[in-house]
Amino acid sequence: MKRTGFLLLAAASLLLAVEAGAATRPHYGGTLHVCLHAAPASLDPNQAEWAGSAALFGLLFDTLVALDDQGQSQPALATAWQAESGNQRWQVALRRGVTFSDGMPLTPDIVAASLRAMNPTWRVFSTGDAVIIERDSPAPDLPAELALPRNSIVKRESGKVLGTGPFVVTQWDAGKKLVVTARNDYWGGRTFLDSIEVEMGKNFHEQMVAFDLGKAQVVEVASEQARRAATEGRRIETSAPDELLALVFEREPQSAADSKQREALALSIDRRLLNSVVLQNGGEPSGGLLPNWMTGYGFLFPVEVNLTRAQQERAEVPETSVWNLGFDANDPIERVLAERIVLNARDAGLRLQLATGASDIKLVRVPLASLDPQVAFTALAAALGVAQPRINGSSLDDLYMAENALLKSQRVIPLLHLRAACAVSKTVRNWGRTRGGLWRLPDVWLAAERP
Amino acid sequence: MRGQHPKPVYNARIREMPLPRAYCFRALCCLLLIVPATVVSATDWHGLEAQLARKIAAGTGPGAVFLEVTNRSSLSSADVDEIRRGLWTELAALGVHSVAADQAAATVQVSLSENAQNYVWVTEIRLGNNESSVVMVTAPRTEPAAGERPAVPLTVHKALLWTDEHRILDVALPTGTPQIMIVLEPESIVLYAVQNGHWQAQQTLAITHARPWPRDLRGRLVLRKDHLVDAYLPGVSCQSTTVAPLALNCRESDDPWPLGTDPLALSAFFTPTRNFFTGVLSPGVRKQTATAPFYSVAALPRDQYTLWIFSTTDGQVHLWDGMTDQTATKWSWGSDIAGVRSGCGPGWQVLATARDEGAGDTVQAFEIADREPVAVSAPVEFGGRITALWTDSDRASAIAVAQNSETSRYEAYRLSITCSR
Repeated sequence: MKRTGFLLLAAASLLLAVEAGAATRPHYGGTLHVCLHAAPASLDPNQAEWAGSAALFGLLFDTLVALDDQGQSQPALATAWQAESGNQRWQVALRRGVTFSDGMPLTPDIVAASLRAMNPTWRVFSTGDAVIIERDSPAPDLPAELALPRNSIVKRESGKVLGTGPFVVTQWDAGKKLVVTARNDYWGGRTFLDSIEVEMGKNFHEQMVAFDLGKAQVVEVASEQARRAATEGRRIETSAPDELLALVFEREPQSAADSKQREALALSIDRRLLNSVVLQNGGEPSGGLLPNWMTGYGFLFPVEVNLTRAQQERAEVPETSVWNLGFDANDPIERVLAERIVLNARDAGLRLQLATGASDIKLVRVPLASLDPQVAFTALAAALGVAQPRINGSSLDDLYMAENALLKSQRVIPLLHLRAACAVSKTVRNWGRTRGGLWRLPDVWLAAERP
Repeated sequence: MRGQHPKPVYNARIREMPLPRAYCFRALCCLLLIVPATVVSATDWHGLEAQLARKIAAGTGPGAVFLEVTNRSSLSSADVDEIRRGLWTELAALGVHSVAADQAAATVQVSLSENAQNYVWVTEIRLGNNESSVVMVTAPRTEPAAGERPAVPLTVHKALLWTDEHRILDVALPTGTPQIMIVLEPESIVLYAVQNGHWQAQQTLAITHARPWPRDLRGRLVLRKDHLVDAYLPGVSCQSTTVAPLALNCRESDDPWPLGTDPLALSAFFTPTRNFFTGVLSPGVRKQTATAPFYSVAALPRDQYTLWIFSTTDGQVHLWDGMTDQTATKWSWGSDIAGVRSGCGPGWQVLATARDEGAGDTVQAFEIADREPVAVSAPVEFGGRITALWTDSDRASAIAVAQNSETSRYEAYRLSITCSR
């Protein structure tokens, strides 16, 4: 009996061992081939539009602070930070032994110059092994702000930008191709990969072709294509819903009638249908600017369509104006979304028409800039082009009130939060992204096919 | 949220500013005290219930309200029931009573939500036909403990030795009195002693090194007879002094790392910038002095010889008996293996790692029969990736370190095998 049980266990265990992947240590070596839709013309965080190419910055540059998946500040180039006098003056101690890719050491002067270039209103100066940052008003979120990709520490020298990151540029064809090679002297430890080749400016179809032909091991996948790509047998990795899709009005409401029309529009849009039909569940309907996973209160902002109320609001306006709805003509899914929104509005008696030029309302996509809710909210407002919100304190209640106030200004109608998706080759190991959606390429390694 | 930290302070412990070990120890003790309670109930909700009840009462005033509690979080239904009851008790103490919706002066909708860091309890209060007001309270989230699989012929036991937010490379427990524990971290060796039944940090010895450590850093502690301990890290070896207070002398070195002790002595050269052994051995096994680059090795003593098993970097397993080198390609073992003398069956088993997709890594005991592995225990689960597995100096156990995928903390375990067949 015991013997039989033992044999059964052995057989089961062998089966399990075959089915389970081995817990293999990371392998060093190899080149990772990546495709990106973004086509930055510059690698300078001061100039590049970072939103679509933030993954690249992490290869070349470091920030003083990094945020973990819970949004907590962790040391990076800074080893410690301390605020004085009401959070307006911060002292940031720098890590020792860090070098730029040209071998020169990181100094407080360079850090100060880099931060000043990105933040003209900050007063930044060096002192000993630290930098002092002074702000005009209390900045309790400064560590989280320092973790933003745009605050990567950069050394500018004769038109070149150098970073302290894990890779060094070996080929740069602006907007087309970037090749980076691992630095053996990186302070965080040499990366497992020898190099990364990034093809840029590729649309989703071109990326998928490259992936299927084995020419790229990591490609982006459109949110609405992620499910299908997975059912076709590809390994698809998706992020938390971290990109806001919203309608943004060009101006504040001009009259009570204008306000009512905006209210009617917000009530008429069927967000769930947009998500399930157009985006193939590539996101989550949202009535708030920040996703619920980040705040915990996002559900307070309604997402349900209410056509009856929309029609009532519309009926109280004697004469409606025609709004031009702008969208990115190069993004096919935005056109479909815009068309669906026009139809929803029509059901409520509103008149919208698609426009690729000047518009009254724009359909926009804005990635969340930070895992810190307050920093993300402030950055969202800036990206949406609305007035900087006033947050009266650092509690969640304060943030909720600020977000509620911004929504009540009727400049923005949130629609969805989209998940970023990418197809990843099965030979790519330790693939991961931060909860904010950034790729963790320095930790990736390539596995050889098992014999 | 930052609101819980009103005064600006330095961030959490960092390598260049070591926090007193006593703090870590107290934190661990607190954690150990808390964990058993969290298995039954995620946390003590009383404070949060009282806090929310006060906010609700401030909004409604004393009187009759209709209260509804909705769970939008990962809390269990048992927790939700407990919270609902607790909230009622707190509200009643403040003069707020529950009635049916049609008799209530106010409607109170409590949503038990959560975000990345906290439980977020949101309450919408509506008085008559007025616009609703919102109040909320937050508390840090706790994580549930993972379960274990049932026992089988041989049982691999894991005992938690230590946990730390920074990487643990190895742990050694010298025999003798007083009882001490040595923990190898990337930048230091920390000595703990038992005081009042708990491990208490005694001394931190800095490890000096000129070059940055490679990723997937590995390190090994070796207990010595003439002094306390040696530490081996990529390109660096350190030797402690003999008498307390101890000092640590580190130097750049390509000396081979000891992988066994007499009569199973074997040393191997480790690459200074990578995470594996070069394959060159010192001394060799009889006539064999080099194998393929490998991650780990396990010894299984036989009557006439010792079978050495190498887990090589190409994913294969090499079996050495001093004369022949047999390659196995289909074993599906992980990179880390360790030999353990259990006294069960043939006396020795190999512990091997594997990955359990969707969960953490596992360790399972194997015996080698006719040059084929036979599993002799159920896999033992770890809550994340195993980053180190070394045979302990007493060879009767192994030290495993795993990074908990939920907390990101490193957890060092002593693994032992008991006979149960």
